[in-house]
Amino acid sequence: MDKLLSVEMLNVVYGKGKDSVHAVKDVTFYIKPGEIFGLVGESGCGKSSLGKAVIRLTDPTSGTIDFNGTDVASLKGKALKTYRQEVQMVFQDPYGSLNPRMKVGSAIVDVLQVHKIGNNTMERRARVTELFEAVGLEPDWAWRYPHEFSGGQRQRICIARALALNPDLLVADEPVSALDVSVQAEILQLLEKLRASRQLAFLFVSHDLAVVRNVCDRVAVMYNGEIVEMGNVADVIDNPQHEYTRKLLEAVPSF
Amino acid sequence: MKNKSQSLWGDAWRRLKKNRLAMFCLGLVIFFTLLAVYGEIVYRYYEIKDVASPYSLTNLDIAYEAPSSRHWMGTDGLGRDVMARLVQGVRIAYKVGIITSMIAIPIGVILGCLAGFFGGKVDDFIVWLYSTFASMPGLLFILAIAMVVPDQGLLGVYLGIGLTTWVGLCRLVRGEVMKHKEQTYVQAAKALGLGSGRIMFKHILPNISHVIIVTFSLRFPAAVGTEVIMSFLGIGVQGEPSWGLMIDSARMRLWQGMWWEMTFVTIALFLLVLAFNLLGDALRDALDPRLND
Repeated sequence: MDKLLSVEMLNVVYGKGKDSVHAVKDVTFYIKPGEIFGLVGESGCGKSSLGKAVIRLTDPTSGTIDFNGTDVASLKGKALKTYRQEVQMVFQDPYGSLNPRMKVGSAIVDVLQVHKIGNNTMERRARVTELFEAVGLEPDWAWRYPHEFSGGQRQRICIARALALNPDLLVADEPVSALDVSVQAEILQLLEKLRASRQLAFLFVSHDLAVVRNVCDRVAVMYNGEIVEMGNVADVIDNPQHEYTRKLLEAVPSF
Repeated sequence: MKNKSQSLWGDAWRRLKKNRLAMFCLGLVIFFTLLAVYGEIVYRYYEIKDVASPYSLTNLDIAYEAPSSRHWMGTDGLGRDVMARLVQGVRIAYKVGIITSMIAIPIGVILGCLAGFFGGKVDDFIVWLYSTFASMPGLLFILAIAMVVPDQGLLGVYLGIGLTTWVGLCRLVRGEVMKHKEQTYVQAAKALGLGSGRIMFKHILPNISHVIIVTFSLRFPAAVGTEVIMSFLGIGVQGEPSWGLMIDSARMRLWQGMWWEMTFVTIALFLLVLAFNLLGDALRDALDPRLND
């Protein structure tokens, strides 16, 4: 079995009846261990909904999400909590994703405590130090409040928090699009480094084709809730088959 | 990046310090608080010694004395010192303000958090509950509760005010929690496997604590005012020098020129209510999270 995550015929529908929105339609794809899988498309195409369904922030309406041999699409309670240790998420907005009234290190200690990792606060604090070093931050900074950090630093903190549970898959929902270009490159390098050192796989959701071309191994193009094209990143971007992919590429000046 | 870690409360305090009126009101609130503590000590002292306190001893020889160097605020119809009774009134006002808050605030916060966080049926039920409470005329409802409490006196006042004034806070907390629930940090907390209780009370609640503090400083004087009205109507405090009772007894002789008891009690009530309200407003500005960063 060479697949870490395998999604089949996944549907996400918001609402009921006439007002319902079919955000994700019959989507099928897989991610291998240690692979960076890109998901591109314009805003509103359902790529974020798909990411949220994979991490189970949104309940899928139908279909299966197979993770390491278990169907996680309908997990609840304790089993869902265990799944949280395998798959984590980094959000687009580094300003909103940290609790403003909590020291960033305390937020991570809190997560470790909930998952009973480490025996006491001392051990958990030591783990926070390790995590901060792993994402390239000064360990002393862990005991500060979020408003004292820049956007790039905050995104590093978010990544450290996501790594606290030692996941195998990280859903990165536009992780760099809120950052300055120079900072974007640093964060992308960090993600590459983590992939290499921890065999971490990524579901990399983005609208930025240049970024996707740089970091992803394989890519899926989403349009109107459906995957219209999927393949190795070089094939898809250099030799697009689907009309929508061509349009998407034409819209980017550098391609 | 700042070098020293500074708390958000520190920022709020700096902003509050710049507001002179707020600092004056804070001084007044501290002054009243000290008076209340002093009043409690005096009350306990006479209770332990098991003698009648001077402020409740009748001495008809000196009834209705105008303010003088011996009785700064004069004496009332039974010859009791108005100033000493006024201080005891502060004690009762504080007890009412604090104890009713300890009843109303937890109810409002817990129900508001549950309604805002879970939504759906839980929300429907809590909204129905507080709408029902809010639809009844406040004072009548308070009087009804106070009447059915067997032990007439302060307990009825506490329960009456405490059980009816949580609605406003509940609404505010519900709205704030709904707002925060959609924020990414709550989504992240969910994705990290944190439980609902922990997210509500450890993560969201500190972010809306300013609402609770402001509500406390605004409902405190309201509770004091309600107690005065209840005592004035004869349903609240009995046998203790509440401001309401003092106003009630003073009104009888006001037309004969015995102005001092009414005047000083009214001034004290006015200052206490005003100080808390202005301080509450200033706190609301100082703690506004939009001004942070």
